[in-house]
Amino acid sequence: MSNIYLPHLVTIEDIYEEAPWVRSYKLVFKDHEVRDNFDFKAGQFGLYSAFGAGESTFCLASSPTRKGYIQCTFRSVGRVTSALADLSIGDTIGFRGPYGNWFPIDRWKGKDILFIAGGIGLPPVRSVIWNCLDTRENFGDISILYGAKAVEDLVYKNELRHWDERPDINLVQTVDPGGETPEWQGKVGFVPTVLEGMAPSAGNKVVVTCGPPIMIKFVIEVLGRLGFDDNSIYTTLENKMKCGVGKCGRCNVGDVYICKEGPVYTAAEIKQMYNDF
Amino acid sequence: MAERYLKREDLAKLIDSVCSGEGLFVGPKMDGRQVVYAPISAYKDIVFDYIVPRNSFKEFLFPQTEVIARYAVHKDGIDLQGVKAESPEMVVFGSRPCDAASVASLRSVFTWDFVDTSYTEREDRMVIMTIACTDRDEGCFCSTVNLAPDSVGGSDLFLKETLEGGYLVDIVTDRGRTFVERFEGIFSAGGADVDIKRIADVPRLKGVDVKKIKEDLRDTSHYDNDDLWAGLTRKCIGCGACTFVCPTCHCFDIADEGSALEGERRKNWDACQFDHFTLHASGHNPRDTQYKRWRNRFMCKFNFYPNKFSSRGCVGCGRCIRVCPVGLDITEVMEEMSGR
Repeated sequence: MSNIYLPHLVTIEDIYEEAPWVRSYKLVFKDHEVRDNFDFKAGQFGLYSAFGAGESTFCLASSPTRKGYIQCTFRSVGRVTSALADLSIGDTIGFRGPYGNWFPIDRWKGKDILFIAGGIGLPPVRSVIWNCLDTRENFGDISILYGAKAVEDLVYKNELRHWDERPDINLVQTVDPGGETPEWQGKVGFVPTVLEGMAPSAGNKVVVTCGPPIMIKFVIEVLGRLGFDDNSIYTTLENKMKCGVGKCGRCNVGDVYICKEGPVYTAAEIKQMYNDF
Repeated sequence: MAERYLKREDLAKLIDSVCSGEGLFVGPKMDGRQVVYAPISAYKDIVFDYIVPRNSFKEFLFPQTEVIARYAVHKDGIDLQGVKAESPEMVVFGSRPCDAASVASLRSVFTWDFVDTSYTEREDRMVIMTIACTDRDEGCFCSTVNLAPDSVGGSDLFLKETLEGGYLVDIVTDRGRTFVERFEGIFSAGGADVDIKRIADVPRLKGVDVKKIKEDLRDTSHYDNDDLWAGLTRKCIGCGACTFVCPTCHCFDIADEGSALEGERRKNWDACQFDHFTLHASGHNPRDTQYKRWRNRFMCKFNFYPNKFSSRGCVGCGRCIRVCPVGLDITEVMEEMSGR
């Protein structure tokens, strides 16, 4: 039997500077067999190792429709993420996963999708966005509301430009009051406020949201006022994790282990949980 | 009816036989002024007069620190090698029924979908020889959590002390039977007409109803009752001693130890009582005060384990009560929760 804590080795193929202190790595498995057979679903996560510093948990930010590589996006804030951020193209890191559940995209055929993300909450949502865009014919209208503290904090700026230009996506960008620059063309205001102004209709629509916990909380409240059913709102939770496989005992929200039973939940499920966020 | 008889002096032969190979013989031994489960290589080191050793023997199944991989950085990349756990044959002599019962709990976590083979391979080679309790102290509350001083669950062999100082041996599992058959000369037949020492009486704590606690904890609203939890557990200082001595506490950290060029990845015991345990890199901490961490441990024992893993979270060994530096007694909280 294998060692469940042993990571695969992956090479950093490309680096994208997304925002101050935020980077994305395009990663390729060293082992050809793993590279050819690796599969995952949008919403799953992994543990990324900087050897000598340890492991950190991030979502898989690329779409499972794009084969041959995976991508992660992280902000350097702690020991492991700082060590990861010191690396260059060609360097090796560790990856184990995919872990956790996923967004049930298969069940969303024919529906309109509204993505709502804040700050560094866009990476997990991006995996779903590209999954939907790569199978665009399966969905109705696709809208994206994305906000950050300030213009410079918006991640995936090139992709935001691309999504903005595509006629089959309605992209709304916003920054918190005070975060705008003179050139800023988007909105100014907190994500939940902008959402309320957009007033999307609830009919035949699925919402995918991720961002700071306080944003998610108010987004769910606003969506409730707009008539959205809690079962049609999906989010992904994150907590400190070490093992990723339901043993180390720290990611649980009450009796719910995020690593095993999450990280993807509906708003209805979240409302059933213990207040342990 | 006892199937076999073990003379106390024959333990010397058993220790020699087990230790002559790769095997490890674990039993109660003095450490300073306290009895602990420790490796035993000589009969004279065994302590026979003890109630509950200070530690549980979980450290022999789930070591306090354990290497899971080694890494070395070269010019062309990284050499990463998984480290297979050492799993010698282990014999635990003198387990208590509470400790034997806890093994199924650890297993339920370490095999929850993903199998931690470093745990299972050790447990699969462990022979647990439990001795029924003939004494108790004020920390013991096994009967309150539906165990008893003579519960056999989790044991491979179940021993009862005889008045003359030997043991009647009940064979509980196939592993126990194989073990006994291997040492035919040591575990002799019969002994049914020997008198055994009186089993200890551990009365149920009045006012504690574990079933009611389990059901009440399902109602999520008690999490918002800060007065309840803060009031009950305010004196906790977060030292984590309860988790280290607890036979069912399983939390761990994964950390790299070494330089940026070479080192080890280790699994180290951790504790949900530590303030940084759930601390996010962002500074957010879901369990930001001590009473929330204490509440988590209580929930783990009386909700997560029974409901999620279908095993017992608390075996009533009482170690957390004996070791707590501020005298926070889990049975007082159990009583309070039972009376709500």
